[in-house]
Amino acid sequence: MIAPRWRKVFRDIAGTPLRTTLAVAAMAAGAFGVSMILTSYSILTRELKTTYTDTCPASAILTLDGAVTDSIVATARHVPGVSDAEARPVIYARVKVGKDQWMPLILFVVRDFRNLRMDRFVPDSGSWPPGDDEVLIERASLSVARADVGDRILVRTIDHGERPIRIAGTVHAAGLAPGWMEHAATGFVTWTSVLRTGVESQQLRILVSGDRLDEHHIREVAKRVESAIGKVTRIDVPTPGRHPHAAQMDTFLFLLGAFGALTFALSAVLVVNMIHALLVEQLRQAAVMKTIGASTRQIASLYLGQVAILAVIALAIGIPLGISAGRAYAGFCASMLNATITNAMPPFWIIACEIVAGIAIPLLAALGPVWRVSRISIHEAFSNGAGRHQFGTRAFDRWLARITWLPRPMMLSLRTAFHRRGRLILTVATLAAGGAAFIAALNVSAAWTRTLDADARARRFDVQAGFPRAYPIADVARALATVPDVAHAEYWAESGAMLGDYRVSLIGPDANSKLLDLPLLEGRWLKPDDDGVCVVTQSIDSRGELTLRINNRTVRWRIVGVVKELVPGRTVYAPRRSILAASGQSGDLTRSVRAVTRNHDIPSQVAASKAIERALDRAGISVGGIHALSDSRKSFADHLVIIKSALIFAALLVVFVGGLGLTTTLSLNVLERTREIGILSAIGATPRTIARGVVVEGIVMAILSWCVAVLVAIPITFALDAATGQMFVRSALDFFMSPAAVAGWLLLVVVLAAISSFHPAQRAARMAIREALAYE
Amino acid sequence: MIQLQHISKTYETPAGSFNALRDIDLEIASGEFVAVVGKSGSGKSTLLNMIGGIDRPSSGSLSVGGASVQNLSHNELAAWRGRSIGFVFQFFQLLPTLTVAENVMLPMDFCGTLPRNQRSKRAMRLLERVGVGNQADKLPSALSGGQQQRVAIARALANDPPVILADEPTGNLDSETSAEIFRLFGELAADGKTLLVVTHDPEATTAVSRTITIADGCVA
Repeated sequence: MIAPRWRKVFRDIAGTPLRTTLAVAAMAAGAFGVSMILTSYSILTRELKTTYTDTCPASAILTLDGAVTDSIVATARHVPGVSDAEARPVIYARVKVGKDQWMPLILFVVRDFRNLRMDRFVPDSGSWPPGDDEVLIERASLSVARADVGDRILVRTIDHGERPIRIAGTVHAAGLAPGWMEHAATGFVTWTSVLRTGVESQQLRILVSGDRLDEHHIREVAKRVESAIGKVTRIDVPTPGRHPHAAQMDTFLFLLGAFGALTFALSAVLVVNMIHALLVEQLRQAAVMKTIGASTRQIASLYLGQVAILAVIALAIGIPLGISAGRAYAGFCASMLNATITNAMPPFWIIACEIVAGIAIPLLAALGPVWRVSRISIHEAFSNGAGRHQFGTRAFDRWLARITWLPRPMMLSLRTAFHRRGRLILTVATLAAGGAAFIAALNVSAAWTRTLDADARARRFDVQAGFPRAYPIADVARALATVPDVAHAEYWAESGAMLGDYRVSLIGPDANSKLLDLPLLEGRWLKPDDDGVCVVTQSIDSRGELTLRINNRTVRWRIVGVVKELVPGRTVYAPRRSILAASGQSGDLTRSVRAVTRNHDIPSQVAASKAIERALDRAGISVGGIHALSDSRKSFADHLVIIKSALIFAALLVVFVGGLGLTTTLSLNVLERTREIGILSAIGATPRTIARGVVVEGIVMAILSWCVAVLVAIPITFALDAATGQMFVRSALDFFMSPAAVAGWLLLVVVLAAISSFHPAQRAARMAIREALAYE
Repeated sequence: MIQLQHISKTYETPAGSFNALRDIDLEIASGEFVAVVGKSGSGKSTLLNMIGGIDRPSSGSLSVGGASVQNLSHNELAAWRGRSIGFVFQFFQLLPTLTVAENVMLPMDFCGTLPRNQRSKRAMRLLERVGVGNQADKLPSALSGGQQQRVAIARALANDPPVILADEPTGNLDSETSAEIFRLFGELAADGKTLLVVTHDPEATTAVSRTITIADGCVA
C-alpha cells in the first residue's frame, strides 16, 4: 500500500492537469531540444569521420616532372613504409549543360574498378564498372551536369574537342568535396576510356603503412619515395583524417554544439522557473504537513519525488522525439555533405547522459525552492502572502508607486509584475535566454551573408577565364575587342609556389588595377612601384619575410599587408612584374583574363561569359574554364548552406522551446494569481479589464526580456562570429547586429506573450468569485 | 502540562517593532480545557503558536509536557509537534488532494507512530468518533465546513497527542455546528487531553474549564 504522503504526490500531479501539462511540456521541450542537438551532433561527428576514413584517402600525393609509369608505381610500392601506390590520371574537361554553357568536369581515370585500394568510391546507381565510352558520375555532382543516369552528355576535353559519352551510373566518393557546392562535376572513367587520349598522370598517390594519421611519419615516407623514384617536383600531404570540407564541417558541428549548450541553458532556466512556480503554490500545504509532524527531510523528499516524476514523464516524451528529430536532421546534413549514415543510432552514452541530465537538472533546479518550502516557518507560511516581500518595502517599489499618471488597471499590472521579483527574474531570464540564442543565430547568419557580399564587392571584375596554356595577350585582347559587352580586361600574372611544405597560389594584378579591393587586416595593399614585396591572405601565418620556392628557385619577398579573403586558400598577391620575374614567364603571354562588363547584373555576366567564350573559340584560344563572378559567389554561398541551415535550425528550435517556455511561464503566472483575480472581480473589475491587465503584464515582461536578450546576444554573437569565422575562413567575421533578428524577436515575444496570457486570464476572469478566492 | 515563564514575542515590521506578547506567565494542567479570548490582534494566536512550536518566543522559557520547546531544533520540533500536539485551524487546512481518511493517516505516516497496517483502522476509528466515518473516502471539497472541521479534529488526534491546540475552530461554522464541535472538545478533555482553544465563540465559555483573557499581549 502506498503511504498517504506519496498518494498526495500522485494526486497533486494528476489533480492539476493544466499545471502538470504545462510543467511537463516545458521540461519535455527542453529535453527535446537538447536531445535533438546531441543526437545529430554525435551521429554526424562519428559518421562523417568514418565515412571519410573508410575511403582510404591517399596519405600523400607526389607530383613528378613527367608521367608516372607503371615501373615508378612498382618502385614506390617497394619503399619501406608504403602500403600501396597508384597513379590516377585526371582529365580536366567540361560538360555541356545548355546552349553555350559549360560546367567544369573533373574525370579520374581508374585502372581497376573491381580493386580500389585507395581514394575509394562505391557504386550508388546504374551499372558498374562503366564501359570505355561511359562515365560514372559522383552522386553529389549529377545536378551540376544537369543530366540523369542513362543520358548522353557532351564532354569537351581541353585539347581534343568534343565527344558524347553516356552516364552509366552514379558513385559515392565520400572523400571528394560535394560537386553541387564546388560547382564542378566529378566522374570516373576506365583506363581505356575514349576520353583518355594521351592523358597520363603526373601524380603518384601513396598510402602509408603504420600510423596514417601521423603527418610527420607520412612526410618521412614520402621523402623516401622521392629518393627512390626521383623527378619529384612537389609533395602534398593532405592533413591526415581531414575531409576536404573539414573546416566547413567543424564550423557546422561547432555551431550545433554551441546552440546545444544554449538550448541546454534555456531549458535549465525553464525548468528552474517551472519548478519554482509549482512549489510556491505548495507553501501552505507544506506548512500544514509540518504542523502535523512532517520533518524537513520528509517534505523535501516529497517535493523532490514529485519533480522527479514530472522529469521522468517529460523525458519519456522529449527524448524519443528529440532522437527521432536529431536523426532526421543528421540525415539531412549528411546528404548535404555527401556522407552516408551507416548507423543512425546515437551512442548509448549520449542517451544515458540525456537521461541523467534530464533528471538531475530538474532535481538540482528544485533544490533551492524545495529547501525554501521545507524550511519555511509555519507561521510565515500561514500568514498572508507567504513567501513574498511586502510591496513598498523596497526602493524600487516606492519608485514604481510614484508612477501615478497611468490608468489604474495598468498601474496595477505594472506593480504586480514587479512585486513578485523572483518570479519576474525567472520569467525574464527564460524568455531572454531564448531571445538571445535566436538573435545570435540570425546575427551570425547575417554576418556570413555580409562577409560574402563584402568579398563579392571587393572583386570588381565580372567574368574570369582560364586557359590550359599561355596565349599572347594581344591575341586574347583582339578576341575580346569583338565582344561589345566587355568594357575592360586585365591579364594578371599567375603561378604556383611552395611555402615550406604547402602549396600557395601567386597572383600578380596589373600595377594600377582597380579590380581588386580586398579588406585589409594588417599593413597595406600593393603600390604601383612596388617590387619584391607581397600581400598575403589570412590563411598564411608568416609575417615579415616570405620565402617561396618557385620552379626550383627561391625568392624572398617582404610581406607588407594581410588581406581577408573568403575562400580560405593560401594566396600571395605580388606585383605582376615580381611574379613574372620569379616564375620566368613572359610578360606578353597570359593564362587568364579578368573582364569587366558594361552591365554588372547576373544575366549580363552570364551573357558576357558565353559571348567571351565564343569569341575566344573563334580566335582559336582554348578555354579551360570560364565563370561569371556571380557563379563564384553562388558556389561559396552553397558552401555556407549547411552552416546557415544549422543557424536557422537553431533559431527555429529556440523559437519552439522558448515559445513553449514563454507560453507555459506566463500561463502559470496567471494561474498563480487566480485568487488575486477573484478579489479584483469581487470589487467590480470586469472580465475584460482583468484580461487586459494580465495581458499588459505579460507584454511588460516580454519587452523587459527582449531588452535583456538584445544585450546578452551581443557577447554571444561576438563569440560565435569569432569562432566560426576562424574555423572556416581563418578570420573572425565582422560583428553585425541584424535589425531583422532584433525586431523579429520583439514582435514574436510580444505576440506570444499576449496570446499566452490572454487565454488563462480570460479563464480566470470568468471563474466564479467564490471559486477563485478558494483557489489553492 | 504547559508552563510559560516570562514569555515575550516581538516582531520586526517595516513600521517598527511590534510586541505581540509581553512577559506572559501561565500554567495549564493536564486535562484542562482552556479558552483563550481577547480582541483581534491581542496576541491570542501568537500565544497558541508559541505553545505549539509554530513560532519561537523572543525571550522566556516554555515547557510543554516536560519538553523545553524553545531549545528544540527545527527537525526535533517537527517530530515533537507530530507526536505531542494536535492542531485544529479556522480554515481546516486539509490537504485538498487526499481523501478524508488519508488526511487522517498522514500524521501517522510522517511520525511512524503505528505499524503501517494499523493506520487505516485507527483513522476510521477516529473518523467514526468525530461522526464522519461514512465520509472516509471522499475528498475534503465534497464535505461541508462542519464535516471538514471534524476531519481536522480527527487528524489532530491521529498520533494521540496529549495537547490539542485550536485556533478559532468554529470561526467559519454556524452556531449549531460550533456547539457540536465544542461538545466534541469537551469529550476529549474528559478523556484526559489538554485543550487550548482560541475563540470568540460565546458557546465556548459554557464548555471550558477555564478562560484566559489576553489584552495587548498580556494575560488580563
